[in-house]
Amino acid sequence: MSSSEVVPPATATADSSRRGAGWDLLGSEISVLFRRRRTWAMLVAIALIPILLAVAVRLSSSTLAPGQGPPFLDRVAQNGLFVSFTAMVVAIPLFLPLTIGVVAGDTIAGEAGLGTLRYLLVAPAGRVRLLLVKYTGAALFCLVATLTLTVSGALIGAALFPVGPVTLLSGDTISVTESLLRSLLVAAYVTVSLLGLSMIGLFISTLTDVPVGAMAATIVVSVVAQILDVIPQLDWLHPWLFSHYWLGFADLLRQPIDLGSFGQNAIVQVCYLAIFGALAYSRFVTKDILS
Amino acid sequence: MSRNSLKWLPALVVPVVVVGAIIAVPLQAGAAVDLPDKTPEQVLLLVNDSTVSTFSGTIAQSSDLGLPSLDLGAGMTGAAPTDGSTAAPGPESAAVLTTALELLSGSHEFRVYVSDPSTSRIQVMDHLAERDLVRNGSDVWLYDSSSNAATHLSVPAQLSATAAAKFAELESQLPTDLSTPAQLAERFLGDLDPSTTVSVGTDTRVAGRGVYQLVLTPKATDTLVASVSIAVDAETGLPLQVTVLAQGQAAPALQVGFTAIDFAQPAADLFNFVPPATATVTEQALPAMPDAASRDHAEATAPAAGDLPTVTGTGWSSIVEIPAAAVPAELSGNPMLEQLTQAVDGGRALTTSLLSVFLAQDGRVFAGAVPLPVLQAAAG
Repeated sequence: MSSSEVVPPATATADSSRRGAGWDLLGSEISVLFRRRRTWAMLVAIALIPILLAVAVRLSSSTLAPGQGPPFLDRVAQNGLFVSFTAMVVAIPLFLPLTIGVVAGDTIAGEAGLGTLRYLLVAPAGRVRLLLVKYTGAALFCLVATLTLTVSGALIGAALFPVGPVTLLSGDTISVTESLLRSLLVAAYVTVSLLGLSMIGLFISTLTDVPVGAMAATIVVSVVAQILDVIPQLDWLHPWLFSHYWLGFADLLRQPIDLGSFGQNAIVQVCYLAIFGALAYSRFVTKDILS
Repeated sequence: MSRNSLKWLPALVVPVVVVGAIIAVPLQAGAAVDLPDKTPEQVLLLVNDSTVSTFSGTIAQSSDLGLPSLDLGAGMTGAAPTDGSTAAPGPESAAVLTTALELLSGSHEFRVYVSDPSTSRIQVMDHLAERDLVRNGSDVWLYDSSSNAATHLSVPAQLSATAAAKFAELESQLPTDLSTPAQLAERFLGDLDPSTTVSVGTDTRVAGRGVYQLVLTPKATDTLVASVSIAVDAETGLPLQVTVLAQGQAAPALQVGFTAIDFAQPAADLFNFVPPATATVTEQALPAMPDAASRDHAEATAPAAGDLPTVTGTGWSSIVEIPAAAVPAELSGNPMLEQLTQAVDGGRALTTSLLSVFLAQDGRVFAGAVPLPVLQAAAG
């Protein structure tokens, strides 16, 4: 949120004005987030991942043998609807966490760095409400980012390749409509997967006044979690790493659909939301706001 | 100051509550269950009387055998048949070996759907991939999503009929009448008794169901097997989990069990497998049933008595000895063997927490669920 942002002053009784201020704050936060050139640049880059993949497959003369390259890549030439699944597998380990790190790391530290944080707190919104609004904005970005990836993948796939019934991992075939439903479910899964990291980013953002530091730290946390996830000596820890179920969306591409990993993933993310939400709250309400 | 420290309270309390819940919830699920007491015979009877033929569930398998990790990918590419139709037996058996070894290392998850004995589906849930085995009456389909390849097998209808006839024939030849399950249980326990102590362990929960634990403990001290426990569903008598413990190892050496089970009829369309249009489909013929003439021929070329594997010892500590002539050539020349085994006094050996294999320098192979020195002594 920039300093030019105007938050309507409180006029009526304290309670109703506070609630109104909260919604206004959320509205202005979202509009500022999605009017930023940086946000648009990141969304365009995300949309380019499936386009790049599809164009590369389309232009190459050699056909891929099954099992070569990223998962599902060999199916792309046969069915364009696989573009978004392949793009999701490619984007999850680094690219999506990177954009989430930028957005979530900027939430509080960005305002503090610009010197606008204390103006925000002058309005009768309160620190807790500001945290909630900032987190909602970051979570909405997760949803928009995964939907961008899914939609651009489906569009470029339909434009460059034949579209037909989709073969699931189990070998069963489903109709195009059902496959689009499953794509949306995959987008929902990935969005939920990123909620924990967003809250970690929000917490880190309350620790510093330097937004770049918070962004970098959030991205480092996501990379460290993925490194820990492949160390066999730490297998007791693996189910509780926020990145452990990131690629588990493959379970949504089985027949019958397996919602087990969706549930486990959601439980892990809720644990991270609770822990880092509490940490962010305690840190932010006790923080000395100097800028 | 005190107000500020109060505000730090959530940062302390919430993580403690979350971590506590993570620890407490599985403990509660595994809390002791109190089922009516049963003797081992009664539990065996329960298994025998089980009429479950319809269920679906998730099976988790984990093994901690201490096997060296293998470069399985290299084995797989070498094993891929080039033309699909006439695969040489060598690579194919190597592929089978690779799959078997892969299933024996690490952990795997399966989903099973069984509608009746001849209608079933098994799904091996791989990372971003899946392997399916679908049986629907006389049709058997194998599908591998990572290679997008399907294999079709037709099981002739008379095959199962002949099997049933054979079984009846065998049964009539048995010295004792096994018509009642009680006799069967008694006989089974009687056979086990000399080498094994059979007991019923503490009741527990597997896949959310109360189970009896039938624990088989070897009496012999020179075996690697510490105990085998079979979890039997108290309600239906279906065995839900098998755990093999090895000597001197706290974690189970081998564990296969349901993590979820449902006794409802699975949807029928699960078993109507139609290979995807883009998949490469291989029709595989079953090897023809050997008729009387070829059986005679087989007998004529059967290995001499000296080439047959011999078993020494009894019960859990028995050792299988395969003479040098009977060891398949592909096995002795396999580079994977070098990777698997290590040089020991008098040959090469593979030791796992449950099984030892000793390849003597003269080509003989010894194997058994015993420590390696026992095998070396048997070879010497």
